[in-house]
Amino acid sequence: MTEDDTLVLRPEVVAFVEEVRRHLADLDDETRDDLLDGLDADLAEQLADGADLGDPAGYAAELRSAAGLPEPRRRRRSIRVAPAELLDDARARFLAVAESPRFRPAWELLVTLRPVWWVARAWVAVTALDVAVGPYEYISVVPTLAVPGLGPLALVAAIVVSTLIGLGRLWPASLRASQRRYAVLALNTAAVVTPLFLSIPVPAYLGYDHYDPEYYGSAGEDYYQRGLFADGDPVINIFAYDAAGKPIPQVQLVDQDGRPLSVRLRDAAVYDDDSEGLRVPCPARNGGAAVTNAFPFAYVRTSIEGRCTAALAARSVPPTPPLASLPPITLPGR
Amino acid sequence: MDTTQLLRGVLDVAVLAVVEREDGYGYDVLRRLRTGGLTEVGDASVYGTLRRLYAAGALTSYVVPSDEGPHRKYYGITPAGREQLALQAKEWTSFADTVTSLLPRSTGATS
Repeated sequence: MTEDDTLVLRPEVVAFVEEVRRHLADLDDETRDDLLDGLDADLAEQLADGADLGDPAGYAAELRSAAGLPEPRRRRRSIRVAPAELLDDARARFLAVAESPRFRPAWELLVTLRPVWWVARAWVAVTALDVAVGPYEYISVVPTLAVPGLGPLALVAAIVVSTLIGLGRLWPASLRASQRRYAVLALNTAAVVTPLFLSIPVPAYLGYDHYDPEYYGSAGEDYYQRGLFADGDPVINIFAYDAAGKPIPQVQLVDQDGRPLSVRLRDAAVYDDDSEGLRVPCPARNGGAAVTNAFPFAYVRTSIEGRCTAALAARSVPPTPPLASLPPITLPGR
Repeated sequence: MDTTQLLRGVLDVAVLAVVEREDGYGYDVLRRLRTGGLTEVGDASVYGTLRRLYAAGALTSYVVPSDEGPHRKYYGITPAGREQLALQAKEWTSFADTVTSLLPRSTGATS
C-alpha cells in the first residue's frame, strides 16, 4: 500500500461489518472489537478488487473458528424458540449431569422413588386446600377438610390423580404436548413451593422455642399482630355472661363477618409463679382441630410441654370466672 | 482431496511466514497468500488466524491511520512468533517428507 491510495468505505461494507458484529454478540466487547478492528478497511479493499462480501453469518462463523473462539452457545437472537425445544434442551442438560457417573447412583434411587413424590404432591395439594378453606388448625397427616370423612377421601382421590399424571395416563386431551409439559412443570413447582407457606411444625432447635403451629400460628401470622387485643394488650381468655348475669360455660365467638374471634394460644399460655411452670390453655376441639374461638379456655399446668397435649387435656380444669356474676341486663326497647 | 481441511492445519505457519517476510494488514496478507499459491484460502480464515496469533503473542499489531476512510491494522511478527514459525516449519517439512515418502514414486514426484 502506498500513502495516497485512500480507501473509500462503502455503505455495504459498513452494513456487512455490523451484521457480522451482530453474529458475534455473545463474545465480550474486547474480544469482539479485537476481531473486527480493521476489518472494514480490509473488506473495502477486497471489494475494490472485485471480490464480493458473501454471507455475514457464515463469515462470522469462519472468523470465529479461525480465531479459535467458541461457537455461540445458543441462537441468542432467534425470536421464537419452540417451547418443546426449550424443555428438551433443559431436560438434556439436566440428564447429562444426573446420569453422569458421579450422580448416577443417586439419580437412579430418585427415579425409583418417584411414587413417593406423587403421593407427596397429592398431599400438598389437599393440605393446601384444607388450610385455605377451613378454620385455623393443625397440619395433619390426613387433612380434615372440615367435614368428617371428606379429608381421607380427598387425599386418596388426589393420590390416584397424581399417580396417573405421573404415569402419563391422565391428562386433558385438549392440551398440546408442550402445554402438558408446562402444566406438569408448573404444578410440580407449586407442590414444592406451597409447603413453604404452610405452617409446618419446626423443631425447637431450628429457632423458635416450642414452635408449634397451634400455639404460634403460621409463619405469616408473625408479620403483624394477630389475635385479640383489648387496649393494646392481648386478650388471653374470654368469659361470657348471659342476660341474667350468670357465666355461660362455653361460647363460640365470631365477628360481624363470621370470622372466628380467635385468641392466639401462644398469647394465652401464662407463667405460673406458684408451680414455676407454664399454665397452658386447652382449647375445645372440633375433631382433631383446636377451636381457638371457643371460650373460656380450660387450663392445665405443665412444666415441660409448651402446649396442651392429649394427656394433659385430661387433667385440664375450667377456669374460674373473674366475676361470679354480672348485673342482669334488659334488651333495649323491651 | 479437500484442500480446505489441509489448509486449516498449515494456515498458522503460512500466515507467520508471510508476515515474517514483511509486516502487513489483513487483506495484504491474504493477497500474498493467494499469490503464493494458496488460492483457496478464505478471507475470514486469514483474518481470524491473524487475530488468534496476535492474541497468542506471536504477532504484534499497530494501526496506520488514514486521513480519510478507515484505518488499517498492520501485523508484525514477534520473537515468540519467530520461534513458533521455526518450529512449525520444521514440523511441516518433516511431515511433508514423511507423507511424500509414503506415496508411490510416480505420483509423489510429479505433483
